[in-house]
Amino acid sequence: MEHPILFISIILEKLGLPIPHGPIGNTFLEKLCEPYMTYTWFVMIFLVVVGKLTLSNIEMIPGKGQNFWELAIGGMYDFFNDNMGRELTEKLFPMIATFALYIAVANLIGLIPGFMSPTSSINTTLALTIIVWITHHIIGFRAHGVGYIKHYLGPIPVLIPLMFPIELISNIARLLSLSIRLFGNIMAKETLLGILFMLAGAYFAPLPIMLLGVLVSLVQAMVFVLLTVVYFGQSNEHAH
Amino acid sequence: MAKLSTEMIHLLGNYGHIGFTFVAAIFIGLGGGIYLDEKFFDGSTSPWFTFIGLAFGVAAGFKSLFDILKTPAAKSKDEDSEG
Repeated sequence: MEHPILFISIILEKLGLPIPHGPIGNTFLEKLCEPYMTYTWFVMIFLVVVGKLTLSNIEMIPGKGQNFWELAIGGMYDFFNDNMGRELTEKLFPMIATFALYIAVANLIGLIPGFMSPTSSINTTLALTIIVWITHHIIGFRAHGVGYIKHYLGPIPVLIPLMFPIELISNIARLLSLSIRLFGNIMAKETLLGILFMLAGAYFAPLPIMLLGVLVSLVQAMVFVLLTVVYFGQSNEHAH
Repeated sequence: MAKLSTEMIHLLGNYGHIGFTFVAAIFIGLGGGIYLDEKFFDGSTSPWFTFIGLAFGVAAGFKSLFDILKTPAAKSKDEDSEG
């Protein structure tokens, strides 16, 4: 579902770049100009610029901007520390915190007219999820070597032929559920807002959904990050 | 407030995806079974791998339910209620 007006797409169209009319483009350039791609770049630029503006001169006594970041980053750091241990947090904090900030901003940006959430496209969420999924296997193999496969063999050797496919399926199900939940929630929010805006935008019909949208956006970002942390922690600890 | 919201996030994260994981596991099992039947064995084994895959998918769904019950958050909650 498309927003009525996406201002980056309009700017790009004025510049002469091809904008795909459907959800996905045909040529390579059209694919690069898809709304979720351009808004992903927008979110990344936004995060970099805001970080640069608020943190350019770090002081002993923090100002407004630095205070916000200290609260957000410190809170996330403590949260990861509680859930997956100090060692992993030191190693993976930049990645997971970036995911958290990116997903939160990407979800919330869709509430502003003229913007869309990049996370309302399955491509974005699947990309994020595949990174998380591969990373949690890498963590497992680095922590246990070949013995990591014991995570997937169940408690008793006799049950291996039964347990191995089951564990494999439930592991791949993580890939599916993590990506589709984020995508589904955000796309539902975007679609609902679009429809309500079309039907009764003049009577502020989308307003309650916007309120819910703020909640859903933040909660989904938190849930994604929490599950990422839980998966990392699980693959790092010993097999049962 | 801070403690309450952290607990809320834990509950949402751990138990909010029960339904979806269950369904995803079943569909992955079923899809794998159908793939084995139709593409790998060219339909010569037709209904069998589909059913075996479905059975494994359902089993994997229940297994992921048990895993969710055993997550650290659930454990720490038990300890809290005991201590």
